[in-house]
Amino acid sequence: MHELLERTIKEASDYFQNFLIHEYSKKSVLHKIDGRIKLVSTVVFVILAVSTFNLNKVIMVLLFLFVISAITGLSLKKIFERIWLFTLFSYIVVLPLSIYNPLYGITFTLRVAASLIAIQILIMTTSFAEICSALRSFKIPKTFVSALWIAYRYAILMFRELFAILLARESRRVAKGSHMDVWRKGGEAVGLFFLRSFERAERVQLAIEARGGNVVEYRGKIKKLDLIYSTIVIFTAFWWVII
Amino acid sequence: MHIPDGYLDLPIAGIFYVLSLAVLGYSIYKLKDEKLTPLFGIVAAAIFAAQMLNWPIPGGTSAHFVGGALAGILLGPYAGSLAMAVVLTIQCLVFADGGITALGANVWNMAIVNVFIGYYAYRALEKFGKSVASFVAGWIGITIAAIFAGIEIGLSTSFGYGLSVTVPVMGLWHGMLGIVEGTITAGVVSYIASSRPDVLEEKVTPGKAAIAVIAAMIVVSPLFAYAAELVGYSEPLENAAEMLGLTENPIYEGLLPDYTVPGIDPYAGTLIAGVVGTVIVLALGYLMARYARTT
Repeated sequence: MHELLERTIKEASDYFQNFLIHEYSKKSVLHKIDGRIKLVSTVVFVILAVSTFNLNKVIMVLLFLFVISAITGLSLKKIFERIWLFTLFSYIVVLPLSIYNPLYGITFTLRVAASLIAIQILIMTTSFAEICSALRSFKIPKTFVSALWIAYRYAILMFRELFAILLARESRRVAKGSHMDVWRKGGEAVGLFFLRSFERAERVQLAIEARGGNVVEYRGKIKKLDLIYSTIVIFTAFWWVII
Repeated sequence: MHIPDGYLDLPIAGIFYVLSLAVLGYSIYKLKDEKLTPLFGIVAAAIFAAQMLNWPIPGGTSAHFVGGALAGILLGPYAGSLAMAVVLTIQCLVFADGGITALGANVWNMAIVNVFIGYYAYRALEKFGKSVASFVAGWIGITIAAIFAGIEIGLSTSFGYGLSVTVPVMGLWHGMLGIVEGTITAGVVSYIASSRPDVLEEKVTPGKAAIAVIAAMIVVSPLFAYAAELVGYSEPLENAAEMLGLTENPIYEGLLPDYTVPGIDPYAGTLIAGVVGTVIVLALGYLMARYARTT
């Protein structure tokens, strides 16, 4: 079972890096912009990037995203670190087609890169609480948004619980297990983990009822900075249309 | 299996948003009287954690668990699909795992097709034993979900490979990985069956009419996407008229003629026309709903 544990630790530490970057990234001007504006802007940027195969338009979206990131104080290096792998993967996927049509390969890859940058800008500058509030403002059902918020808050805790169960079982193991053993014992451990998660859900439900509910709701006013950012996004869309 | 932005054509992405929202909306409606929000949230966090387990496979490689069929078996298809949708939304908005425009398709594949098919496969085969039923549920749920992902990207002209490549690649690869999914699902369900069998009792499930509609949506959804590509996003009648050499002679052009905005790029015009049309329909629907409430 140690193999399962080791591989999982490595996987989880890579994955949770995103949580840490997300929560503690350097403050930029974009952090001050309303979550609703940033969410809509991200969707607009992604749609602009993926709705065309005109290379000029895709490069224009990329340039605007780079300029916005640089001017507002986001680290371009950090953004690159977080998008290069999937961008490269996308290029490799379409590589056989790029041999006959290099323009397609480049445009396809840049479309993916632009979309990833747009999402990363949102992730790096917006707390998940703000995203949940923005979703509520757009009338996404309360049940779903509250579940999103609970899942986000409990993700690390649940992972620690799962890990504790695996670790406890591993510490009690005296003989070297086969692959079958790892799978059988691992399955039992995950089964126990899901049962515990049900029990935790009951406790959380009681706690919520005792406190009178905890739905994330925030209705901030749109500020001047929000309007400026919206204007930049509209200008990008306008420029995208006319080139 | 998470489809990123840029792989799907927008009309196909839009179709799967509509289908997913319809099923999730109905699921929320069906569960509205039950205080299940913490259950969705906590089980979603648990699935999220379980997905991080890196299961070793002989030969040095490893595999991950998706958990769609398990979510269906443990929570029922409605709550299971909502929990999986929560996981996918967090993965998209926090980890950039799966695209924003592709979220509808990802939810359709992994939170609806995987959960519903996994759940009903389990119920159908339960009489042969819980382990066998949950293994098949895990395997078939993930395999069919992957085939759907293959259909969606294969039909998209943005992605250079056709259905003849994407469906076999996704289906065969996930058919093999599905063995891992099935084995883990069987291991978890067997343990729960021996220690808390009450958890596996039948859950809130769709009535016959609802399940028929959802099943029909699952079966027909690739046809919607195929049809969108087949007709080249234009009216078949227009294609027929073009073949016959007929020309239009409109009496009134309308404000947005032929779903475009005069003077701007036709593609952008179609997008704007679509947004305007949607807003008008929503406004009319809202007014009608208000009228219905007051009479």
